[in-house]
Amino acid sequence: MPFSISAQIVNDVAKFTLSGELDAGSAGNFRTEIEKIAAQKPKRLVLFVKDLTFMASAGLRVLIFAKQKLGAEVPIYIISPQEPIVDTLEKTGFLQSVYVAPEYTDEG
Amino acid sequence: MEPKSFAGTLDSLSLIREYVTSAANSAGLDRKATYGLCLAVDEIATNIIVHGYEGAGRSGVLDMRTEMESGTLTVIIEDDGVAFDPRENKLPDSEDFSKPLENRPIGGLGVFLAFDGVDEFKYERSGGRNRNIFVVHHQSHTNT
Repeated sequence: MPFSISAQIVNDVAKFTLSGELDAGSAGNFRTEIEKIAAQKPKRLVLFVKDLTFMASAGLRVLIFAKQKLGAEVPIYIISPQEPIVDTLEKTGFLQSVYVAPEYTDEG
Repeated sequence: MEPKSFAGTLDSLSLIREYVTSAANSAGLDRKATYGLCLAVDEIATNIIVHGYEGAGRSGVLDMRTEMESGTLTVIIEDDGVAFDPRENKLPDSEDFSKPLENRPIGGLGVFLAFDGVDEFKYERSGGRNRNIFVVHHQSHTNT
C-alpha cells in the first residue's frame, strides 16, 4: 500500500495522518511536510497512524528531524500505531521520547 | 520462490517487501516474524541502493533468492555496489537509545533493525559482489 500523508495545523497543533508504508523512498514526503509546518511553529505534533502498516528506520529519522526542527519542547504524539510499529519504537528507545496513545483529544 | 532481480532504486523497496512477504507466507511464518524479516531486508536493500549504488554513482540490480529447508527460511540479496559489510557498522547502544530524541545519532538504526529482525545475519563478498544473507529458523515463528 503506497504511503500517503495529509497535514493540517489547528490551534497550534500540527496534525498529520500517515497511511501505507513509510520507507526510505517515501520518508522524504514526510520530512517535507514537517519542514512546511515548522514555519508555523506548532506547539504539539500529533501523528495519526492507524493505517500505517510499515515503518523503516527512515521514518524514525524523520521523527528525530521533527524533534530537532520543531524544538525539544514540542511533544510528539503517535496515535493508534499498529503493533509492529510500537515494537520498532520500543526496541529503539523512541517510546521514551514520544507519547503513544490509542486516541487523541486536544486536551492531550 | 523463484529468484528475482530488482532495479537498484528506492522504487523497488515495496516490490522487494512483497517478494519477501510471499516467501515468508510460503514458509508459514507468523505475522511478527514476517514483519521482522521484511524490515531487515528493507533496511539492507535501502543501504545497498542509497550507498552502494546511488551514493557511489553506480547503477545496478539487487538479485534476490530464497531457500527453504530444514526448518529454515533464508533470503539472499546479491548486488554489485560498493563493498560493504553491515556487521562492521557501528550500532547504536543502550546509551544512544536513552538519549532525548533531538540528541540521538541517526546512524546505525537501520542496520540495528536489520540484525534484530532475523535469527541470523551473514555477509559474504564473492566474485566482486556483496551477498547479504538473512536467516529465520521458522519452526519457532510459525503459525501452527
